[in-house]
Amino acid sequence: MIAFENLEVRYAAAAAPALKGLTLSLERGIVGLLGPNGAGKSTLLKALLGLLTPSRGSGTVLGVPLGAPEAARLRSRIGYMPEYDALIEDASAYEQVAFWGELSGLAPEAARDRAHEVLYFVGLDEARYRPVSGYSTGMRQRVKLAQALVHSPELIFLDEPTNGLDPDGRRRMLELVLRVHAELGTGVILASHLLGDVERVADQLVILDKGEIKAAGSMAGLRKVLARRVELRFLDPLNPAQEADLAELGTVLEARNGLYDLELTEADPAATFRWAQARGTTLVQVTPRHDRLDEVLLRALHPGTGD
Amino acid sequence: MPIYAPTLPPAPDLHQGHPPALVLMRFDFTRLWRQKIGRFFGFAFLMLLLWKVARIYIDHLLQTNPAFKTMQDFAKTVLTQGADFQSDLLNPAMYLLWFLVALVGGGLVARDTLYRVRPLMYAHPVAPRDYLLAKLGFAAGLPFLILLPFALLPWLMSLLLAGLHGPVWATAPLRLLPAMAVSSLLMGSLAIGASSMAATPRAGIGWVLGLVLGAGTLASMIHGLTGLRFVDGLNPVMLAEAWPQLFVGVDRPMVAWLPAILGTAFHISLWTFVAARRTRPSEVVI
Repeated sequence: MIAFENLEVRYAAAAAPALKGLTLSLERGIVGLLGPNGAGKSTLLKALLGLLTPSRGSGTVLGVPLGAPEAARLRSRIGYMPEYDALIEDASAYEQVAFWGELSGLAPEAARDRAHEVLYFVGLDEARYRPVSGYSTGMRQRVKLAQALVHSPELIFLDEPTNGLDPDGRRRMLELVLRVHAELGTGVILASHLLGDVERVADQLVILDKGEIKAAGSMAGLRKVLARRVELRFLDPLNPAQEADLAELGTVLEARNGLYDLELTEADPAATFRWAQARGTTLVQVTPRHDRLDEVLLRALHPGTGD
Repeated sequence: MPIYAPTLPPAPDLHQGHPPALVLMRFDFTRLWRQKIGRFFGFAFLMLLLWKVARIYIDHLLQTNPAFKTMQDFAKTVLTQGADFQSDLLNPAMYLLWFLVALVGGGLVARDTLYRVRPLMYAHPVAPRDYLLAKLGFAAGLPFLILLPFALLPWLMSLLLAGLHGPVWATAPLRLLPAMAVSSLLMGSLAIGASSMAATPRAGIGWVLGLVLGAGTLASMIHGLTGLRFVDGLNPVMLAEAWPQLFVGVDRPMVAWLPAILGTAFHISLWTFVAARRTRPSEVVI
């Protein structure tokens, strides 16, 4: 779906690179793009949309090389849902979705028909003739999603699609994202600060910071890593020699009051009991530590600081 | 509780639609038509047009009806058929147009900036030149379309009533249409340049009025201080009025040919360049 090698983007020739030699290959699916403000997420999206020409490196989006003359036509195969309110306030949802459809290359009549279909798909069937200035946040987000889908893109970029939504609205939006991929076969790049959202829908994850990729991989792979994270509780505090030997089991992330957070080298927690028996100490509890994607993110962004 | 469609059928074939610049321009025209400002100016221009046409009809009556024979000498002094009369066909619509261009054109680019839709346009197959072409096409096309009946209807009526010897020259459209095109392009480029510098439509109106009146005031001051007439070529209002005069061959046009060409080229190139720079994709934040 997307591949780039040694991709570097600068806003000006003399300026520091906004993206520093990124190399990555993404399969068609739902990709979560995580990173703090200024990490380079928007710059990466701009480069993928062909709005910025790489100063170094190469890449392809849907088989089209970045910076190629046909990049403008490539944009008719991509949908983009911006983070902010990019809505024409004095127009109805129907008018503007049809307008965006026409801009993507649909004939006027086809764009009007399609606007009805796609607004129905996102759940805005009855409100579509009202000016969007009177819409709730959830409705506005769904109009933005509708305009990204109106031309049946092969790939959509969703920038913070759940911004400002209540829990129920978030759930519905994420369900729509899952439907877009499952039913329409559309590839999704989901940029979000909400780790729970990414974890719920994404099957691949990319963590960006300061223009560099800090971590990338499949969610299944990350979950395997997460599954190897355990908390060990011993009956008596370990002596310094035993603490040093803990490195045989894996990486010690944190030690506090006889509790040790470890990332095990092997996925089998039974090895911890064998290790304790061999060293004459009593291991009383092994607690798996799931659902800590935020720790993976923080460790990727701030290596060497444990959690 | 929203009702969701069971599924979404695939979209029809792409690349069957109109060019992006045309789609953008059409959307701006539709938007203007919906607004009250469009109806107000439509009424104002219609009244001016009726007045022009009525004058030609009265002229015809004065020339042909014996009942008005005593008034004919007076009419000949009032209803001149010379070059001034031809160029004056576009006035005072030209002045009213500046206000329309300020009110509508001022928000043309600024509204996209305020609603932040330009980045989204560039995320579609829309090149910056498409955007610029659409905005310039709208801002210049609107005054041209409004002036069109002012040039054509009196001419048609004159032809119908009095043939080739009517008050409006038979060749008047050939002279007025190019002049209108140049004046409209001047108005349009100034409007989009000013609008591109504004963050809101209201600020855009201020920018257009400020640039038009500011440039005019500056030119008048330099003219007054130095006595140099050619600096009037910097005054956009005078330039817009001068082009019909130049094309129909008025004896003493407001601005002579050379300053008019230089001044118009300066304004069009400067403000189009400003608009192009201010609407680049690298200027947008996505």
